[in-house]
Amino acid sequence: MKTVKNYFNSILMIIMVLAMAACETEIFPTLPDAEPVLVVDAWVTNKEEPQVVRLMMTQPYFENLTPPGVTGATVSIEGSDGSFYLFGESNVEEGVYTWEPAPGDSFGQSGVTYTLRIAKGVEQYTATTAMGRVPPIDSITFRIEKGNDLVDDLYLAEFWAVDPIEAGDTYWIKAYKNGILLNKPSEISLAYDAGFSRGGNFSGINFIAPIRRSINPFEQDANNRLKSPYVVGDSVYVEIHSLSEASFDFLTQVVVQTNRPGGFSELFSTPLANVSSNIRNISPGDKRVVGFFNVAAVSGSGRKFKSLDEVSNK
Amino acid sequence: MFRRIAVGLIFFTVSGVFAQDKATLSGYVRDAADGEALIGASVYVRSISAGTVTNVYGFYSLTLPAGTYDVEISYVGYVRSEKTVSLSQNQRLDAELVSQQQQLQEVVVIAPSDLSPVQSVEMSVNKVDMNTIVRMPAFLGEVDVIRSIQQLPGVATVGEGASGFNVRGGNVGQNLILLDEASVYNASHMLGFFSVFNPDAVKDVKLYKGAIPAQFGGRISSLLDVRMKEGNAKEFEVNGGIGTVFSRLAAEGPLLKNRGSFIVAGRRSYIDILARPFVDVLREGARLNFYDLTGKLNYNINDRNRVFLSGYSGRDIFFFDKQQGFSWGNNTATLRWNSILNDRLFANFSAIYSKYDYNLQFGEDNLDYFRWQSSISNYTVKPAFSYFINANNEVTFGGEANYYTFEPANAKGASNGETVDVSLEKKYNLEAAVYVGNNLRITNRFSVEYGMRYSYFWGFGPGSQYRYNDTVPGVRRTPVEELRYSEGEVLASYGNWEPRLALNLQLNSVSSLKASYMRLAQYLHLISNTTASNPLDVWTPTSINIKPEVGQQVALGYFRSLGKNRSYEFSVETYYRTAANQIDYIDGADLLINEFLEGDLLSGEGRAYGMELYLQKKQGRFTGWLAYTLSRSELKVVGINKGNWYPARYDQLHNLKATGFYELTKRWSLSANFTVLSGTPTTFPTSRYVIQGILIPYNADGTRNNVRIPVFHRLDISARLEGRNTKRNGRVRKNADYWMFGLYNVYARKNPFSIYFAQEDGRYPSGTPVPSQARQLSVIGTIVPAISYNFHF
Repeated sequence: MKTVKNYFNSILMIIMVLAMAACETEIFPTLPDAEPVLVVDAWVTNKEEPQVVRLMMTQPYFENLTPPGVTGATVSIEGSDGSFYLFGESNVEEGVYTWEPAPGDSFGQSGVTYTLRIAKGVEQYTATTAMGRVPPIDSITFRIEKGNDLVDDLYLAEFWAVDPIEAGDTYWIKAYKNGILLNKPSEISLAYDAGFSRGGNFSGINFIAPIRRSINPFEQDANNRLKSPYVVGDSVYVEIHSLSEASFDFLTQVVVQTNRPGGFSELFSTPLANVSSNIRNISPGDKRVVGFFNVAAVSGSGRKFKSLDEVSNK
Repeated sequence: MFRRIAVGLIFFTVSGVFAQDKATLSGYVRDAADGEALIGASVYVRSISAGTVTNVYGFYSLTLPAGTYDVEISYVGYVRSEKTVSLSQNQRLDAELVSQQQQLQEVVVIAPSDLSPVQSVEMSVNKVDMNTIVRMPAFLGEVDVIRSIQQLPGVATVGEGASGFNVRGGNVGQNLILLDEASVYNASHMLGFFSVFNPDAVKDVKLYKGAIPAQFGGRISSLLDVRMKEGNAKEFEVNGGIGTVFSRLAAEGPLLKNRGSFIVAGRRSYIDILARPFVDVLREGARLNFYDLTGKLNYNINDRNRVFLSGYSGRDIFFFDKQQGFSWGNNTATLRWNSILNDRLFANFSAIYSKYDYNLQFGEDNLDYFRWQSSISNYTVKPAFSYFINANNEVTFGGEANYYTFEPANAKGASNGETVDVSLEKKYNLEAAVYVGNNLRITNRFSVEYGMRYSYFWGFGPGSQYRYNDTVPGVRRTPVEELRYSEGEVLASYGNWEPRLALNLQLNSVSSLKASYMRLAQYLHLISNTTASNPLDVWTPTSINIKPEVGQQVALGYFRSLGKNRSYEFSVETYYRTAANQIDYIDGADLLINEFLEGDLLSGEGRAYGMELYLQKKQGRFTGWLAYTLSRSELKVVGINKGNWYPARYDQLHNLKATGFYELTKRWSLSANFTVLSGTPTTFPTSRYVIQGILIPYNADGTRNNVRIPVFHRLDISARLEGRNTKRNGRVRKNADYWMFGLYNVYARKNPFSIYFAQEDGRYPSGTPVPSQARQLSVIGTIVPAISYNFHF
């Protein structure tokens, strides 16, 4: 129920403005040291481009550096259909392992189960996931949200796609504005079938409006006024990535842990907790590992906002 | 077995009565000015050291050997009344007491009530009268019952601005909040800043932190018993005020030839009305307000029978436009019939209705929308009897039946014209209980109150429940079997014995030792995994997967009156409390509109222990109290903190509160609150990692609440200016008014509410470092002034 929360937060914001000003300060607490742990960032897709698995180590929380890569590992993915993909270690970037599809080829097949295997020294790690299915994006439209004395006119993009029949499909909707991925924690858009969460029965229909419109970046200008997400001349590109149910749960937890707008909404936050992982250490050693493995089928579509004539008044 | 004990007990105590020639003195004690019943007034015969206190309806009954007695009737803040009674047969004696304030506010020295906390067997109880509450400094100047009880020992909160309160380590959902016996499921306006109780309509507030008598049950931590005013039975009066947030108006007066009275009191926030001319959205259908309406009627059928009808309706409304927004509120109604069946047997029959609901909707048109309603409602009948056997022996007995209907979601959505119903089935439950209690003074020095309550809970069809697989603790359990029940079929049932015991050993005339034990069961569970509870939190009943919560507490206390005229009360209490089957949540739990909610719940236990010191000065120009609590509140849940004990979010080792009132002149009075609290615990990460460009905090030890946020301290002051009571021409004014001026957080301390960790705002391309930060939030980080004007005529 992410939107419920979002709406809730906007109510809170209104109250805040009317009632009082909370205040926030950045602090620099000393955090205890911790042993670094292996991080596996293995989000493979069927896009026709090199596929990457990153192996890194965790860092102290305030260490604002690129995470240290883990070299010298063997990384492969094996499909239940007998397919085998060996990820070669990059000699440019540490900790990066890639597999490049032949021209016209791509990674994997919907419905197939894939097993990731990582060997580093004596330690062996594994993870299993199935590649889901993904509906095509039928179209992208623009709509206007008329302004009032609090906000200006806003132009919003909306994508249209129909979730396939039979419940249980999960997706990550990624949007690019002018080629830049909208990747703030607040911009993570997840769908369970055409709705937000399981048990919603929103299956076999168009994605619900808040998901269709989740491809809009909301930012403020220097005067704290909300900027229109898109203006004439901007382009938008939308991808739907299939997720396994475990990956959906993982990302749901990631949103809870990382989307912290602060302010009054902190009253209704949940405790900091470690997000889940589907990577297991199968060697006798007990070295810990975090991260996630998902194989996504991807559909995508884009559109350039050429003129205001394209705007529907709906 | 229990039944035999109970019957034997009644027989034993009743048979003792006939041994001697005795007569009963009974009646009501009321306020002389407005006829309001006085709760807990003492009726005392000094010559034989016998006495009693009035019950919640102002009724007492005292059975004494025949003879002539001087009866002293007293109540804190009122002038004592003495009457000589020649008692040969049962006699009615109603008394009216004059409040000290009506004695033109002269400093009158009044001997305190003879049945002070030292004498009574009651412990772990704090009573705050409305006169005190309205004088305390209040946030934004809005007098608030729940904010006021947060100044008491043993009461904590998760932080400033959070709704609800935590008593002796219990969570917010473990407090039973009763408004004229009706359960209030969400006692907050504006997400917790204000409570739903209108100070103009409240008479008496009593918080039970332990030793809860057998007549109450249903929540395992505390009972907040809020009693509404009956309304002025002598003359018509109007009270009102304009504050920073609310404007208020209340009217009360006699009814039907003084055989009854009424009160009706309303409050509404008014900022939206003021803002309307300037803000388009408010004129175009946006709504932002909250209100409540409280009313009560009572009627004396004859001098032995009286009926009361009281009700509450309140709502918070936040709508961005005509179709989109969010509202929530409580509605309650209580019908009561008091009957003096005979001079020693007092009965009350209550029929109660209570409902909490919320409504959330968005979508600007009928093609795309989401509309969701959720509610919990209950119908209750509650017969209660008090049998006053003699001055030293009172038996209470009765029962209670609550029928609950839960509607977790009545929800519909539409996407591009296709509608989907995502409603969840309603749940039907019955909670019933019978109880018997006996308050017995065994010797002049030793009294005991013991009781037994037996509660039973049923869940009924039609409906489904699920069996879930077992998995690693802390991970979502998935349903493996659906169990379907037809109408009236029992889904689950549980019963609990709930013994209660309180002892008072009088050491001398000014001090006593007390001890108590209680066991309570709770069948309704507040589902809330956020720091502060919020209006969307749902209540859910006990089922095959959720066991009843069981709370037990032992407490030991020392009570002493101090000073000349015994104007100080001092107490120290220690307690140890346990809670079983307490609900917790997996990480990432989905609590809203989730048919498989129970698969996301964990079950744990709680424990709390501590010491509470309380020193109160009740009389004189300077009054007030000092409350200090030293405590620990911990939880243990398999699947959280590696299964080890960890401190609850509201755990505060030190909790010091001081509240003082000073009468400067006849017109000016001052008050102040000072609060110092140990920092509440929170969870800090040790490390970080990046997945798909998102910075994720990581706690390598997997601990919960491993760090403390800094200490909280705050001073609030207020001044009250009484309007002149004479006109310019020297005549006495009929109307009265006063101003309240307040400063909250006088030295503008940025008290931390929480510390959170997040990546810095911005988009970071793959391969570039994502900067992290820690931020400390103060909910109210500045001084908040307030002013209000209040009138009475």
